[in-house]
Amino acid sequence: MYQAVIIGGSAGSFKVITSILSALPKNYPVPLLLNLHRLKHVRSGFVEALALKSNIPVVEPYDKDSIKPATAYLAPSNYHMYIELNKKIALSTEEAINHSRPSIDLSFITAAQTYHRNLVGIILSGANKDGAWGLKKIKDEGGTAIVQDPKECEISTMPQAALNTTEVNYVYSKDQIINFLLKIKQ
Amino acid sequence: MSKYELGIVDTRNILKTIQEHYDYDFRNYALTFFKRRLEYIIKKYNLKSADHLIKEIINNESFFQLFLKEICVENTEMFRDPSLWRYLMNNFLTPIIQKSTSYKIWFPEVSSGEELYSLVILLAELNLLEHVEIHASSISEIRMNKVKQGVFDSSKMEINEANFKRVFRNKDLNDYCTIKNGEGYINPPLLENIKFFRQNAIFGQYPRKVKLIMWRNQMLYYNQILKERMLKTMNSCLVAGGHLIIGLNEKIDYWNSNSDFILVEENNSVYRKKL
Repeated sequence: MYQAVIIGGSAGSFKVITSILSALPKNYPVPLLLNLHRLKHVRSGFVEALALKSNIPVVEPYDKDSIKPATAYLAPSNYHMYIELNKKIALSTEEAINHSRPSIDLSFITAAQTYHRNLVGIILSGANKDGAWGLKKIKDEGGTAIVQDPKECEISTMPQAALNTTEVNYVYSKDQIINFLLKIKQ
Repeated sequence: MSKYELGIVDTRNILKTIQEHYDYDFRNYALTFFKRRLEYIIKKYNLKSADHLIKEIINNESFFQLFLKEICVENTEMFRDPSLWRYLMNNFLTPIIQKSTSYKIWFPEVSSGEELYSLVILLAELNLLEHVEIHASSISEIRMNKVKQGVFDSSKMEINEANFKRVFRNKDLNDYCTIKNGEGYINPPLLENIKFFRQNAIFGQYPRKVKLIMWRNQMLYYNQILKERMLKTMNSCLVAGGHLIIGLNEKIDYWNSNSDFILVEENNSVYRKKL
């Protein structure tokens, strides 16, 4: 069934991500790919903060790292993170897309091309429109598209943009997202 | 975000065409990167198809020069990853250069110049610019000529300055560069003694007895085979004990690589050639 979960968010998504990470068991059957906008220069501390309550390891991958289950891969600051067909990470310092590097769209699109219908894509709270196009691509490839309920989001621009672009499968609250993710079995 | 999508067969045909007509072999670049770059070029130059691109490459030498410029990914900004530059300033450059009779530094791919500019500014701050010999190469003649003139993209000035302040708290980047007609220029004296030379895609020529290679975020665009081959090349042109600095999220991990390189500064990806 599902082989990967990819999550995008920016402002207001940090708490949601930490709730998700603390809810998932340490033998979680699939990898989590995270692309969260953050301040470019806050290099250290972010991954540690995410890892604090997580049962699965949270890593900022190196270029060409293999993607493994029960691990959360956080797009490193100031790099794009692509998902390669051979299920490896490819990093890049190419041009920012819509002022974003990492670009959520790029991670989502390449994950969609790699995992097709075996992918879950989730857009959380955020302050710009990055990710909307990528979520559409996931849906087009047969994957499952989920958006955090804009009413619940600290900043609803990003989930609203995703809803405007894509006919998503589910609009979920944070708790419903967690329940959905807990049901994923391999 | 809609764009022209290229097939793998088209991509391979383009690689073959380039290799047959020019002294550039991109076959071991990361395939998805190369394909993405080709798509970007097709869109940017309003070409209709892969065949159209191939025709331009074969028949139009000046288009091929533009092509090389586009393949070559720009540096993102000056003083990217301020912690590295602080490390170079506080812990690395001064003791090592003062001890050395001639300190040779090489930038294998100078690209849009920001990494090179950052280093010469840092060396000027430390009064060490006279003690080094810098070599800089690029696969792109167009990019190299821009860097020779000290040109940079002025739209990056805000981020350049923010990074600079994180390295040199009370100094001003504007002491080292000017903005003229919308373009940024590094002060010419900083670049006076740099030796520039053109490079083919797999580094057919390189300086010898190099003590420091600055090669950050370049291997991202290679496949595993080329990555290993290039690291061996880098190793062979370094003196024993010389240093190689790569991108923060790159690593040297080919089979038996620990008999060639030792990681000496993990947080900043600084490696040393084994003695």
